[in-house]
Amino acid sequence: MTTLSLQYFRSVPRYVGARTIGAKAPGLIAGPLAPLRLATLKDLELPTDRPGWARVKPQLAGICGSDLATIAGRTSFYFSPLVSLPFVPGHEVVGELLDDCEDLPAGTRVVLSSVLACAARGEDPPCDNCASGRTGRCDRVTIGHLKPGLQTGFCQETGGGWSRALLAHRSQLFAVPESMPPSAAVLVEPFACAIHAALRARIEPGASVLLVGAGTVGILTLIAVKLFTQAGRVTVAAKHQKQRAAATMAGADEVVRPEHVTKAVRRDARAVKLTPERGPEFLLGGADVAIECTGSRRGLDAALRTTKAGGRVVLSGIPEGGADLTPVWFRELELVGAYTAGGVDSFPDGTTTVERPTFEVAVETAATLPILERLVGATYPLDRWREAIDHAMAAGKLGTFKVAFAPQE
Amino acid sequence: MGARDELREMASGFRWGRRPMVPRSAEPYVEEADDEGFPTDWARTKAGTFARQMILNGVMDPLHRSQIALRVYGVDALDDVEGPVIFYSNHSSHLDATLIMCSMPDRWQRTTAVGAARDYFFDVWWRQAFTALVYGGFAIDRAKGGTGAIDKARELVLDGWSLVVFPEGTRSPDGHMQRFRHGAARLALECGVGLAPVAIVGAYQAMPKGRLWPRPGRPPVTVRYGDVLYPQEGEPHQELSRRMQQAVAELFDEDRSTWFDAVGRAERGQTPSLAGPQGPSWVRTWEGTRPVPRRGKPRVWE
Amino acid sequence: MPRPGFVLDVDERTPPLLVNQGEGFRMQKFPLGTKVIYPPDALPGVKDAHGEIRRALLHPLGDSKPLPELLFSGMKLTIAIDDISIPLPPMRTPDIRQRILEHVIEMAARAGVEDVELIVATALHRRMTAREIRRMVGERVFRSFWPDRLSNFDAEDRDALTDFGTTDKGEEVEISKRAAESDLIVYVNINLVAMDGGHKSVAVGLAGYRSLRHHHNVHTMLHSTSYMDPREGRSAINDSVNRMGRKLSDDGVKVFQIETTLNSDTFPSNMGFLNKREWEWSMADQGLMMAAKKMNDVAPPRARRDFFRRIEAPYKVTGVNAGEVEAVHARTLENLHRQQLVEVQGQSDIAIFGIPYLGPYNVNSILNPILVHCLGLGYLFNMYRNKPIVKQGGVAILYHPVPWEFNQIHHPSYIDFFEEVLAETTDPKTIETKFEERYATDPWYIHLYRTSHAYHGVHPFYMWYWGAHGRDHVGDVIFVGGEPKSVARLGYRRADSLRDAIEMAKDTVGSTPSITYFHAPPIMIADVR
Repeated sequence: MTTLSLQYFRSVPRYVGARTIGAKAPGLIAGPLAPLRLATLKDLELPTDRPGWARVKPQLAGICGSDLATIAGRTSFYFSPLVSLPFVPGHEVVGELLDDCEDLPAGTRVVLSSVLACAARGEDPPCDNCASGRTGRCDRVTIGHLKPGLQTGFCQETGGGWSRALLAHRSQLFAVPESMPPSAAVLVEPFACAIHAALRARIEPGASVLLVGAGTVGILTLIAVKLFTQAGRVTVAAKHQKQRAAATMAGADEVVRPEHVTKAVRRDARAVKLTPERGPEFLLGGADVAIECTGSRRGLDAALRTTKAGGRVVLSGIPEGGADLTPVWFRELELVGAYTAGGVDSFPDGTTTVERPTFEVAVETAATLPILERLVGATYPLDRWREAIDHAMAAGKLGTFKVAFAPQE
Repeated sequence: MGARDELREMASGFRWGRRPMVPRSAEPYVEEADDEGFPTDWARTKAGTFARQMILNGVMDPLHRSQIALRVYGVDALDDVEGPVIFYSNHSSHLDATLIMCSMPDRWQRTTAVGAARDYFFDVWWRQAFTALVYGGFAIDRAKGGTGAIDKARELVLDGWSLVVFPEGTRSPDGHMQRFRHGAARLALECGVGLAPVAIVGAYQAMPKGRLWPRPGRPPVTVRYGDVLYPQEGEPHQELSRRMQQAVAELFDEDRSTWFDAVGRAERGQTPSLAGPQGPSWVRTWEGTRPVPRRGKPRVWE
Repeated sequence: MPRPGFVLDVDERTPPLLVNQGEGFRMQKFPLGTKVIYPPDALPGVKDAHGEIRRALLHPLGDSKPLPELLFSGMKLTIAIDDISIPLPPMRTPDIRQRILEHVIEMAARAGVEDVELIVATALHRRMTAREIRRMVGERVFRSFWPDRLSNFDAEDRDALTDFGTTDKGEEVEISKRAAESDLIVYVNINLVAMDGGHKSVAVGLAGYRSLRHHHNVHTMLHSTSYMDPREGRSAINDSVNRMGRKLSDDGVKVFQIETTLNSDTFPSNMGFLNKREWEWSMADQGLMMAAKKMNDVAPPRARRDFFRRIEAPYKVTGVNAGEVEAVHARTLENLHRQQLVEVQGQSDIAIFGIPYLGPYNVNSILNPILVHCLGLGYLFNMYRNKPIVKQGGVAILYHPVPWEFNQIHHPSYIDFFEEVLAETTDPKTIETKFEERYATDPWYIHLYRTSHAYHGVHPFYMWYWGAHGRDHVGDVIFVGGEPKSVARLGYRRADSLRDAIEMAKDTVGSTPSITYFHAPPIMIADVR
C-alpha cells in the first residue's frame, strides 16, 4: 500500500529563494520555500535478492542541524552526488522492526547507525575503511546495490526517519533495551556522533577544551568529553540561557556567552589578546583543543582564534564556509573533521585502549544518563511538519534542544 | 515604551511570520482543532458558491476541454433523483474532482462539496483557500482512521449538501482501481443517502500521478454517470462497498463495449474486474497506460 | 467542551500577556517562570431561561412552598432587587432580574395580590436613577410600578426601619419597615461573586448603618480570610450576616429567595480576544487588539470613558434557584464554583493584579483612587479560598493609572475622605476610631444620600476597610504606572514598569522572588493548596 512520508525534492526556485531571502525571512523556509512535501509514497519493498534488510517503523525521528541546513539551501553542492533525489530525510531514528532481521526478531526496538557503507551496499570485498571498521569513511557510498546516498535519510531507496516506514540493513541496527524511553533512544545517534567527535579530538589528560555551541550537539559533546576523555578545564560558549543552564548542569567548568569567549579563554590560558582592524579579536595562545558544534561561520572563527598554536580544532557540525583560515596556517593548527559515528572507535580501557563500535558504547552509556530524555523539547506528527521545522529552526531561542517527529501519530 | 518597541515585542512574542507556539504548560489544554484549523464553510455561502460556479463553468470547464477530449454520458440518471447524494468514482488523477464538478448538472453543482485530503490540500493557507473556493472542499484526515475523517462530511450531508468522495483514498499509482475504504459506505448507511457512481475513463492516461498538466495531444477522457445506489436496511458496509465497486466496474464495462452487453455480463457476474492484472508493477502500469480509444470520427490528419 | 482554569508557567514560547489597567490595557512580557492563573472557559448557559425560572419558582429548594402557593389575595408583598453594583459589566438587556420580576409579578397578579412594593436593595449605596432602574427591571415593570411602588431603599429614613433587637453576639438587626411588615419578601438576586446572596441579600441589602457597622468594620474584615469564601469560620462578615439573617427568620420574616448565577461571558464579541487565551489569538484577534489599544491610547478621556461605560456583557444564565435562603445559596455556590474555581498549588512572593475599569461602586461613574484600592487589595486580592495567592509579607504589584479624579455627584464623601482622612493616616484602625462616626452622621452627606445619587457618607470607609486584610497581609504594594501623588496619598509606592516594580519588590522578598499573575477578569476564585 502506501506510506506517509515527508519527502525532500529538487526545486531550483525554492533553493534560490531560501538562499537569498531565507536569512531575512526565516518563517518562509518552513512555509512556501520548503522543498518538502508530505506524500503517500508507494510502500518500500524488501529486496528479495539480498539478505539482511528489514523494514523499521520509526517511533521518533529527530530533526538535525544538517537536515535544517539542507532544507534552507545552505549545504554545499559537494553533497549533490552523495544523495539521490527525491529522498525522505531523517537519520536520527528509534523504531520497531517490522520484519525479522537476521538475529533480531520483528518487534525489537532499534536505533539506526545511518551510514550506508559497504555492508549495506553489498560491496564485497569492502573498501579499506570499512575493512578496518571505520564505516563512517566508506568510499563506496554511491555505488553497490543501492542508489547513491551517504546515509539513510539521504537515499531514495531506503527511505528515512521522517516517514512511517524505512528500510535498514542489519549492519545499521542496534537494539536498545525496552527500559530506555524513546526520547532518550532518539538521541543515541547524535550522542554517538558526539562521542566520535570527542575521541577524534585526541584530548590529552589535563588539556583545556573549548566547546563552541551548547545546542544538542554541544551538550552531547560536553557529556562525551567528560565521560570518555581526561580533559582538564572545559569552557562552553552558549548563546541562550537554557543552553547555558544545561551546560552547567552537564559539568562544564565555565559557561560564557559567545561574545565573551575570547575574554574567558584568554584569562584561563593567560594569553595575549590582539585586535585586528577588521574582524574579531584573537589570542596568541589559548585552549589546547576546540570543538566547534554550531556549524556556523562565527563559531568556527571563534574556535580558530582562541586555540593555542599547534592546537587542534574539531569540526563537529557541517561548516558553513566563509571562515578565515589564516589562523590555521599561522598558528599551525590541526583542523580535524568529525563526521559521524560509523563503525568503531578506540575507547580508553584502563591504561590501554579497546576498539568498540561507537554506537554500542552510545547505547550503553545513554541508558545511564537521565539528562538525555529531557533534551527532546517537542514532538510533532508528520502532518504538522511546517510547525516542526519552524520550531527546530528557532529551537535555541525557544528554549528547546531537540525537536523530533513522531511519525506514527 | 515607544510604539516601535511595543510593535517589536508583539512581533517577537507572537512570532509574526513564523508559526504560532503554545507554551509548554498550556499544551494539555489546547483544544483539538477539528475543522477549526481548516475553516471551509465560507466557501459554501451564497457568495462563495456563486464564485465557485463562475470559476468552474467559466474557467475550469473551457480549460479542461481545451486540453482533453472530454465526453460525458449518463447524466440523465440524476434527473429524478432528489438530493443529496454522495458522488464517488475511481481515482487516478488530479483531474477527477474537476471532471465531476464540471460535468454534473447545475442544480447539483450548486450544492456539492468535494472531500479532499487534509495533508495535501489543506497544508498551506492558500491551497486551503483554493480547494475550498473552487471545489467547495472540506478536509478529510487520511491519517486518522475510523470515523474521524467523516465527521465534517456527515455534517454537510445532514445539511443537504451532496459530496464528492474518492473511496480509494488516494490516486492509483498504476491506473487500476484500488481497494475501497469504507468511509463513504458507512456515511451513506448512517445518513440514508444514495451513492451516485461515476466512472472516469482515461484520466490516468491523460494525467497520471506525477503530472500536473494533461499530456499534449488532447487525450480522450470519458466521464460516465450511473444509476444511484441506495443503501439497504441493515446492509453491512463491506457489502455496500462491494456494490459500489461493482457499479463502477459495470460503468467501465459499458464504456468499453455496449450497455446491453455490460448489463448481460453483470447479470451473469462476469463484469471484468478493475483491479488490474496480478504480477510485477511494470505489468500493471503497462496495462494501466494502455491508450483509451478515441470516440467520434477520426480526424483527417491523424 | 469548556476547559478548566489552569496555571500557566511562562516559558520562551509564551507571548506577551494582556494586563488590564483601568480604562485600557497593555501587553506585558512576563519574566520566565512567572505563574499565570487563567480562569475556566465560560460554561454554556441554560437553553431556556424562562423555563429555568419557572422551574425554580415552582420547585423551590429547602423548606419552602412553590411561589404561587405563598401568594394570596390581600397579602402584603415586598419584592427586593439587587442594585446596580451587579453584574459587572452590566448585563445585556433583558437583564435576568427583569425576566424573573416578570414571572413573579405575573404570579402575584394571578393570585390577586394588590399591595406590592418593589425596593431596590441599595443599603448604603447610591440611589439608582430612573433610567438605570428602567434598564434593570424592563419597561413593563417600570411603567406599572414607578414611582409609587418602585423605589430605592432609604437607610436614613429612621421611621421606615424596624428594629429587631440584637443577635446573640450583640449585633443590632434593623431592616426596612415595609419589608419587615410584609407577609412575604421575594428577593431577586444575581450572584456574581461568592460574597453575594444568601442572608446578605435581606440582612444587608435592606439594612441601615446601625446594623451594618457590626460587620462592616476593620476587625471583621481582618478576620474574613477571605470574604469570598463563605464557609463557616472562614469569613467573619459572612458569619455575622448569617446570624442576622437567621435572627430575622426566627423573628418571623419570611423570605422567598431567588438566586441566579451567570457564566463568564464577560466581553462582547467585538472584544472577543479578551475571552481567549493569548496564544490562541488568531492574526485577526491580534490586529483587533492592537487597533483597540491604539484607539484607546489616543482617544480623548471623555470618549474613552464613554466607550467603556457602554460595554455590556453577553452573560448567559447558568442556573436559577429559589426557595429557602440557605438551601438556595448552597446550590448557587455550587454553580458559581463550577464556573469560577481554579486550583492553584502554593503561594508566591509577588502577586500581580491588573485592575480593570469597573468595580461595583463606579457603574456609570469614575474609579477614583479609593475605589482602585478597594478593587485591587479588596476584591481581586480576596478572590481566593484557603490562602491568598501571595505569601504573608509578600508584595502586591497592581496596574492602574490611579488618576486623582472623583465623581462629584456619586462620591462626594470620598473626596473629603481622600483629602482629609488619608492625608493624616492610612491605618484602617485609626481611621475607624477617629473619623468614621463623623462621616457616618454628617447631615450633608445624609442629605445627598437621600435626595441625590451619592453613596452614603460612611461608604469610603467601607472601601478602605475592604482592603484592610490585603493591606495587612502583604508587606508592600507597588503600582505600575500610577499617578505619583494619588499613589502616595494611598500610602503605596509606584514604578514605571514591571521590571522596576520587581526590582523594588526585591527589597521585601529577596532576590529571586516567585511571581504569580492573576489573569482576571473574567472573574475567578483561586483555590490555593
